[in-house]
Amino acid sequence: MDTQPAIAVRGVTKRFRLDDGSEFTALDDISLSLAEGEFVTLLGPSGCGKSTILRLVAALEAPSAGTVLVEGKAPAELSRQHRLGVAFQDHALLPWLDVAANIALPFRVAGQKVDEARVAALIRLVGLAGFEKARPRQLSGGMRQRVAIARALVLKPDVLLLDEPFGALDAVTRRQMNIELQRIWTEQRTTTLLVTHDVGEALFLSDRIVVLSGRPGRVVRVVDVPFARPRDPAIMRSALFHEMSDDLTEALAPPAGAP
Amino acid sequence: MKAMTRFFRSSWGILAILLFWQLWVGLSGVNSIVLPSPMGMLRSLAADPALYLSSTAQTVALAALGLVLGVALGTGLAVLTWFSRFLAGLLTPLGIIFASVPVVALIPVLARIFGYDMRTVLAIVVIICFFPAFVFTGAGLRALPPGSADLFRVLGASTWRRLVLLALPAAVPDWAVALRLAAANSILAAMVAEFLMGTSGLGYLFASARSDFDMEKALGASAIATVISVLSFLLASRFEGWAGRNWR
Repeated sequence: MDTQPAIAVRGVTKRFRLDDGSEFTALDDISLSLAEGEFVTLLGPSGCGKSTILRLVAALEAPSAGTVLVEGKAPAELSRQHRLGVAFQDHALLPWLDVAANIALPFRVAGQKVDEARVAALIRLVGLAGFEKARPRQLSGGMRQRVAIARALVLKPDVLLLDEPFGALDAVTRRQMNIELQRIWTEQRTTTLLVTHDVGEALFLSDRIVVLSGRPGRVVRVVDVPFARPRDPAIMRSALFHEMSDDLTEALAPPAGAP
Repeated sequence: MKAMTRFFRSSWGILAILLFWQLWVGLSGVNSIVLPSPMGMLRSLAADPALYLSSTAQTVALAALGLVLGVALGTGLAVLTWFSRFLAGLLTPLGIIFASVPVVALIPVLARIFGYDMRTVLAIVVIICFFPAFVFTGAGLRALPPGSADLFRVLGASTWRRLVLLALPAAVPDWAVALRLAAANSILAAMVAEFLMGTSGLGYLFASARSDFDMEKALGASAIATVISVLSFLLASRFEGWAGRNWR
């Protein structure tokens, strides 16, 4: 049991049928696995199908070939048991609920009693104390994403899926959110799969980085990140960080001559 | 004083028309069968307030009850179509056909079924109020905030919880639009039915006054109906504004 990966993606291919009837391959023979408590980032150019991998793990899509297992079972099993946490690029907050009620939503969806203390603790954890009664439209983009992340964490999920949660933020806010996510994650150590196209974000946050190529998505490289946890933001200025960052940026760029 | 100024500022156009109308009737000397004056109408209202009051009470009660029943029915059926594609295919065309038949054509048919009394008036109001509630609620249940459908799947929501926690709250702003449309139409529908069937209520008061050439009374009845329609429209608009601010 101990060797069973938390998330196992084996030989997965995903094809989409387009409106004109033709087929297009988004993912081609992808394999990856996450150990329990591991933070893995899918890094790739936009349109490489990295979000599709996340949607497969979240059981929002079904693979055309291959298997996706979460804790050795079908991924839909995890969401049925309310043990999956997801934050999308699109914050998906409900506009008629205030911050506290949005964070408490997973309790109500699961039919459980709302743990007010847990909600309050998460609001403090994501730095939104004093905004409990605010509506999403009264918040800035960064604050909305914090609410979305708190909501993803509220049920203490076994698996956390983050789909470019900071994609719509400016560079300064994004960096700050990365530092906070790193701090929050270090306290919880939830198995996490993050999707991003930002090299610095991937390096700062993850234990392992899976680099994907675009159209169709294939695994190009897997890089282990050596920085010890908890990570100080200062590592972003280290020579190793810069060197790895350059290396990954190069791995992301398409080979010369490709369209 | 401030309220007076505000009232004057927002409705001086109506007041000007009434003044012009009064002057025109006074100066041209046409008799009240051709064109009654606003003052004459007020005199008629003051002469027999009990008659106006009882007619108004009946029409308003019927319109309000019909509004509640019609909106409840429309909302209920819209929720049923949300549950099942089969019911949506069955109910949506039926709803559209029903709404497309002119009320005037429905009244004789319904009167045969329910009898020439208040029950038919109520049925007409219910039908008139049903349609906007059905269409707007149906659309609102499917107008979800971006990403929320995926979120509820990931959270493992049951169909019931998806309805109660997501689809119904998301439908509130559209439902408020339906309420505004139905509220203004309910009085009108009740009056048309009373007018055509000629039994009681404001619509009947108007019809009988007209046939007696008592145009001041006829105008009094329509003035009351207008005021009530405008008030219910304003009230429903307020609710719609509130729903829009808090639920979107």
